[in-house]
Amino acid sequence: MGYPRPQLALLLLLAAIALTGLGVREWRAGFPVAAERLDRFDREDPPPPIPPVPRPRALPRWSPARVEAAAPPRPAPRERAREAKPAAPAPADPRPLDLNHASVEQIARLPGVGPSLARRIVDERERVGRFDSPDRLRGILGLGPKKLAALREHVTVGE
Amino acid sequence: MRWLEAPLVPLAGATALGIATSAWIATPAWSLLCAGALALGLTSLALALGATRLATAGLLLLAVLLGVVRAISDPLPADHIARVAFGPRVSVEGRLAEEPVRWSADRTRLLIDLDGLRDGLDLRTVSGRIQVTLYGETPPVGEGQRVALDLKLSPPRAFKNPGAFDYPAFLRREGILLVGSGRADSLVALTADDPPWPVWVKRWAVSTTAGHLPATSAALLGGLLLGEKTGLPPEASEAFRRAGVYHILAVSGFNVALLASSVFFVLSTLGVPRRVTAVVAGAALVGFALVVGGQASVLRATVMGLLLLGALLLDRESQLMNALALAVLLLLAWRPGDLGEPGFQLSFAATAGIIHLAPPLTAWLIGKRWPGWLATPMAVSLGAQAAVTPVMLVHFNQLSLIGIVANLVVVPMAAVGTTLGMLALLTAAVSAWAADVLFQALWPLLLALRAAVWVAARVPGAMVHLPAPSWAAIAAWCVALALLPYLGSRRWIQATVMVSLALVLGLSIWPWVAPDNGRLRVTFLDVGQGDAILVELPEGQRLLVDGGPGGNQRLDVGERVLAPFLWNRPTQRLDVVALTHPDSDHSGGLRAVLTRFGVREFWENGRWITGTEETLRAVERSGACRRTLVAGQRLWLGSALLTVLNPDGSRPLDDPPPEGQNEESLVLRLDWRGFSLLLTGDLGGPGEERLLADHAPVRALALKVGHHGSRYSSTGAFLDAVEPAVAIISVGARNSFGHPTPEVLGRLEAAGARIYRTDRDGAVILETDGITLSITRWASGTVERLDLDPERGA
Repeated sequence: MGYPRPQLALLLLLAAIALTGLGVREWRAGFPVAAERLDRFDREDPPPPIPPVPRPRALPRWSPARVEAAAPPRPAPRERAREAKPAAPAPADPRPLDLNHASVEQIARLPGVGPSLARRIVDERERVGRFDSPDRLRGILGLGPKKLAALREHVTVGE
Repeated sequence: MRWLEAPLVPLAGATALGIATSAWIATPAWSLLCAGALALGLTSLALALGATRLATAGLLLLAVLLGVVRAISDPLPADHIARVAFGPRVSVEGRLAEEPVRWSADRTRLLIDLDGLRDGLDLRTVSGRIQVTLYGETPPVGEGQRVALDLKLSPPRAFKNPGAFDYPAFLRREGILLVGSGRADSLVALTADDPPWPVWVKRWAVSTTAGHLPATSAALLGGLLLGEKTGLPPEASEAFRRAGVYHILAVSGFNVALLASSVFFVLSTLGVPRRVTAVVAGAALVGFALVVGGQASVLRATVMGLLLLGALLLDRESQLMNALALAVLLLLAWRPGDLGEPGFQLSFAATAGIIHLAPPLTAWLIGKRWPGWLATPMAVSLGAQAAVTPVMLVHFNQLSLIGIVANLVVVPMAAVGTTLGMLALLTAAVSAWAADVLFQALWPLLLALRAAVWVAARVPGAMVHLPAPSWAAIAAWCVALALLPYLGSRRWIQATVMVSLALVLGLSIWPWVAPDNGRLRVTFLDVGQGDAILVELPEGQRLLVDGGPGGNQRLDVGERVLAPFLWNRPTQRLDVVALTHPDSDHSGGLRAVLTRFGVREFWENGRWITGTEETLRAVERSGACRRTLVAGQRLWLGSALLTVLNPDGSRPLDDPPPEGQNEESLVLRLDWRGFSLLLTGDLGGPGEERLLADHAPVRALALKVGHHGSRYSSTGAFLDAVEPAVAIISVGARNSFGHPTPEVLGRLEAAGARIYRTDRDGAVILETDGITLSITRWASGTVERLDLDPERGA
């Protein structure tokens, strides 16, 4: 008695696949970071960023006369860097915005957030009920880690 | 006659010949039809007289004529968008013809079948297909949805360079005569997203895969199962190309065969009769083709698969080559323009190569005592590779040497992966848990596949880049391959094959060993808005100044223009690459150049800016010797002397340049015999003033006009000092800066310079032997000659 050979082979193959799958599943659940790293083995990390060179202060459009004028004394590079840093567009209200109660229009006024992203944030809020931390915004399309970091000081989550 | 084995092959060949030659045949259709009627009459007469050979020739001629007639495009309907007058900005409505392709978060490509054009308050009915690039976050829309949007519409424009890919012709074959660009927030969906079921299945399959697997592996599985490659990161696609296994990412006979055999296996285990199985398998193939879309390789494989199943159903013996020829005829009758597509050519060449060459090669290898399990895959791999080599060289200048071996390893893995993937997707429709187990079992296999490809791509010399072969070489290669299986039978066949192969070898080696003509050549390539200039010395040295625009998020000129141009030269290395300044329209394309060509020296002004990280890393990895140049340096390149005129080194590199990056541009002066050339990068007025104040030697015969003809460059005083006889402006058509400005054109004319512009003239090529200078405008093919000898000058 027993299974015929071909059927036995097929069933064994299926069992082997299932066992492998279950094993990999366990491992991925246990070491998610390592799994993610492993999957990126052939990916390249982005190169180190080159810091932005502060633009020289707005000069009048070039004209031959300007070249003859003596160059103004240049401030030290560090000061220039600070003064040339683009000031983040300050929100009208200095108090952080409560993401759990704000309207689409209010959210859209935050720096780096437009109407469509604001709409998606509100959609996400309706989906999950309420945000228990600003980190919950992660994963919304168009809201990368950089933008999130910039947003964090402008928002809060209320009850 | 042997033709009886595959009677459709000559017919398919003749039709293809007709379609291919139709571009050069300018006769009206009615005269072709008359010729066809004449051929028909003569053929019938020949047949009646019993002259079968003559009748066959007449029949083939008829097929050629039919091919020509089919390829002549119908006149456009009167309401076609290309025939309707419209302003620079239009408001249109239409239906999405395919799923949007999202290149990046803020760049999306749409294909729209237009139906309405807004003209004030009226909506005019129009027709025609357009391709649209939207900038900004595109709202979720899908195939079949009707949308309205505001656009700038214009005919597509090609970069006109020697050996360049003709993009407008490619779009024309797809039925696209106009391309548009616009902002994503102008897009309004007029109907709900209710896709046809194949699109729905495809979306579901992609999202299911992405839900169970990490990103890159999911993208690979998407390629294996559905030919969906947009998710694959660029470095992974590049590895697949280098390893010569990119074809597994396209849906082809491979997937179709796996699908059909899986259906057969399952149904025959269940004891279903053969004919029913064949019908079910046929239905599965058609459904699969609908889901994955209408690329040539899918259609080819489906048609052949259905023919083979039909033969099974009718208990007839099937002849593969005949089925292939029928597939050619059907596809060309439906879409004659596909003949010029690389995908069509690759798919048919590979299949023909396998059918024609694999059996004799297998027999030969087994005769050489190869084991059967290795001989067959090797013969298949060799046959396909031999047949696709000319196609790959013509379109991509690529020849993957590792491919023959890599395929032996990768194809079986891909076969198992595809089968398991299909099984997992089918399971996912029933149980997410069981599907997840299958997907997790698949993951290590996908990783192993990627690892094999990665290793193969890293082998030195895995891929070589060669110039596109001449028509004679391709024809000789085809003759040799066609006769190869009959090598043992006749003496004259052996002789023909030998002669053909010798011809191929000779023609391929010739460009490398051809003696130089003792001339200096400077090519100002048409790279759109940007600079890329190649200087070639008679001794063989090559200097590339700037690399045109490029980068990840847009058309990379280095990859699309510079690399093919250099490969077709043929060139494998550059002695010097010089970057005048780091702006993206000068540095963007250099990453592709530095990774693909050996570069000995890299000249720079020592300043790098945010956004050029990729280029800087490519410079560091290229192993090129880096030099930061300052005014006063003189460098010999072969017999040419290069003098650096700018920057003068008075402003420390760590400080931001007080007058902007452009004024720090490298300015190079080249002297060779009686010829001199001044390359000024993007130097503007302040820099020019400085050069004049320093009494730099700026007087030159030819001038690359600074900053693409911006009005803040090329001042009157500077042009008076340079006195250029020839001025070349490297500028993009319809650029948003308004370059070149009328002021600069006026000043150049006042200075007495002949003006050449890459936006109108395409590539501008200066060639000189020191006594005469010839200037070629590539787009129009006109050549002008100037005498450089001052004694003879007048």
